[in-house]
Amino acid sequence: MTNLTIKGPLSPMRVIRISLVLCFFLILSIFISLRLGTADVTLDQLWGLFIGDPNVKETVRLIVLKIRLPRILLAGLVGFSLSLGGVVFQALLRNPLADPFILGVSSGGAFGAVLGIMFGLGFNFGIPLMSYAGALLTIFLVLEIGKRKMGMESSTILLAGVIINAFFTAIIMFFVSTAVDDRLHSMLFWLYGDLSQSDYNQSIIVFPIVLAAFGVLYGLSRHLNLITAGEETALQLGVDVKKAKMICFLVVSLVIGLVVAFSGLIGFVGLVVPHLGRMVLGSDHRLLMPVSALGGAIFLIAADTLARTVVSPSELPVGVITAFIGAPFFIYLLKTRGSKWARS
Amino acid sequence: MGTVLSLKNVGFSYGESWALKDLDLDIRPGELLGVMGPNGSGKSTLLNVIDGILIPQEGDVLLKEKPISSYNRSGLAREVAMVAQESHFHFSFSTLEVVCMGRFPHLGRFQFEGKRDMEVVYKALADTQCLELSERSIHELSGGEKQRVLIARALAQEPTVILLDEPTSFLDLKYKSEIFDLISSLTHKAGLSVFVVSHDIDLTAKYCDRMVMLREGYVYSTGVPDEVITASNIEAVYGCPVIVDKNPVSGSPRVSLR
Repeated sequence: MTNLTIKGPLSPMRVIRISLVLCFFLILSIFISLRLGTADVTLDQLWGLFIGDPNVKETVRLIVLKIRLPRILLAGLVGFSLSLGGVVFQALLRNPLADPFILGVSSGGAFGAVLGIMFGLGFNFGIPLMSYAGALLTIFLVLEIGKRKMGMESSTILLAGVIINAFFTAIIMFFVSTAVDDRLHSMLFWLYGDLSQSDYNQSIIVFPIVLAAFGVLYGLSRHLNLITAGEETALQLGVDVKKAKMICFLVVSLVIGLVVAFSGLIGFVGLVVPHLGRMVLGSDHRLLMPVSALGGAIFLIAADTLARTVVSPSELPVGVITAFIGAPFFIYLLKTRGSKWARS
Repeated sequence: MGTVLSLKNVGFSYGESWALKDLDLDIRPGELLGVMGPNGSGKSTLLNVIDGILIPQEGDVLLKEKPISSYNRSGLAREVAMVAQESHFHFSFSTLEVVCMGRFPHLGRFQFEGKRDMEVVYKALADTQCLELSERSIHELSGGEKQRVLIARALAQEPTVILLDEPTSFLDLKYKSEIFDLISSLTHKAGLSVFVVSHDIDLTAKYCDRMVMLREGYVYSTGVPDEVITASNIEAVYGCPVIVDKNPVSGSPRVSLR
C-alpha cells in the first residue's frame, strides 16, 4: 500500500491540456469556416488579410472581415453558451436530456425578445434584457410546474419544459403573423435560429458576459458533481444546494437569454455536445464544463458553416441543421439512457 | 472520555404531530450506537436532525459542545458524515471519483485534490477493501460493494460522527455481516462515533456497544443490548409477541417471532 502512486482522479494539468487541444480545433474551425461560402476565399488571401497585406482585394476583405468573421465569432459564442447551459441543466436536473431549448428556456427568452421588439427597445441592451427576463421567468415556471410533493422529478420537469416551449413558440408565431412591424417579419426566420444578422457589436457584448458566467459556473463545478449524485447527498457532503442552484439558474438564464436575443432558437447544441464529452471523458464537471463549452463553440461554427453552404447561394437557418443532428440523437439517448434516469 | 454529540430535549415536528419529542441522547468517541424502533418511530428523522438537514423546533443538538446551527454546511460535513439508505448515480462516476466527493468540504472553490486529500481517500478505500474497485464505474458494482464505497466516501470526509441509515437493508446475509464487521472495526479502531439505524435487531445487538429503542419519537429504552432487547420491550414498542433468547455462539440477544 505504501508504494501506491497517489494520483487524484483529475489534475488541473489535464483540464488545461485538453482545453488547449480544443482551443486549437476551435481556431482551426474558424479558419476553415472563413474560407468556405458562396465565394471561396483562398488560404493565401486569408493569410494576406491576417498579416495586413494591402494587395488583398476589397471584396475579399469585405466578405471575410465584415460578413464571415463576425458571424463565426457569434456562432462560437452562442454554441459555447448553449452547451454550457446544457451541462449545467443536466447536472441540476440529473437528466442527460435537459437542454436550454428542450426546457423551454430558449423560447422563453425569445418571447421576451419579441416583446422587447414590439416595445421598440434597443437591440444592444433593452431586448437582451427582456430576453433574460423571459428565460429566467421560464426556468422558474418550469420548475414550479414540475414540482412534486417529494422534491422534483426530472421527467416531469422535462415535460413541463416541452409544453412551455410549445406555448411560447405559439405566442411568438401569433405575434409574428399579426404584426404590422416590418422587423417582426424577419423574426420568423429567427425562430429557427439565425446568425445571418451578426455584427461585431453582439460579440463584444456577449463575450465578457459569457466569460464571466463561465468563471462563476466553473467555481461550482464540484458542487454540480455532487448534485448529480442527489441533492440530499450533496447537502450531506457540505454543498449549500439551494444557493448553488439559485446561482446556476440565474447565471445560465442570463447567458441563454443573451444569446437567444442575438441568434434566435437554436436547439440541441446543449444536448449533443455535453453527452459526447461525458461519453469520452467522464462526468467530472471540472473537465466536462470547459470541454462542453469549447466543443459547443466548434459544433455551432461547423453547423452554421453548413447552414450557409449546403444550399448556397441561398442559406438555411442554423437551427434546422442542429435539429437534423440533434433530434435523432435525442431519440437515441431516450432509448439507450431512458431506463437509467426514469427510475428516479 | 466526554461526549462528542449530544441531543438535549429535542423535539421535531413535520407539521402536525411530533416526530421526535423530549429526546435526550449522547454518544462518546469510539462508540457504536444502534438505533432501533418500528416504522415511523423517528429513526430517520433523528439522523436528519443530527446531520442538520432538519432543524428541530425544540431543544439543542450540540456537536463538540457547540450547537450544530453554528456550523455551516461544509463545516458540518467535516464533522458528520451520512451513509444514506439509497443512493442513485445518474451519471457514471468511477469509485475513485465517488470517494473523492467526500473531500468536498475540505477543498476550496477552485481547488483540486492534493497529496494529502488523496492519502485520505486511498486510506478510506483500503480500510473498506475498495482499492481494487477504484477504477470501476459505480454503476457496475454490486449492492454490497456500493455500500462499502459509500462508507469509504463517508470516511474520506474525516468526520467524527458517522450516521448509517439502514446500511444493510438491501444486502444478503453474507454482505450484512461483512458491513457490520467493517463498521464495528472502523468505530473502535478510529475512535469514531457511529449511529447505525437498522431493522436488523439481531445484527445490531451483536455489534453495537449500546442501543437506543425509539417509540413514537422518544427514547423508550437505552443501554447495552442485553438490557434493551427484551421480550417485554419489543412487545411494548413493536406490538407483537416475540421470544428473546441468546445466540448460542456469540451470546448476544436473538429475537424470533412467537
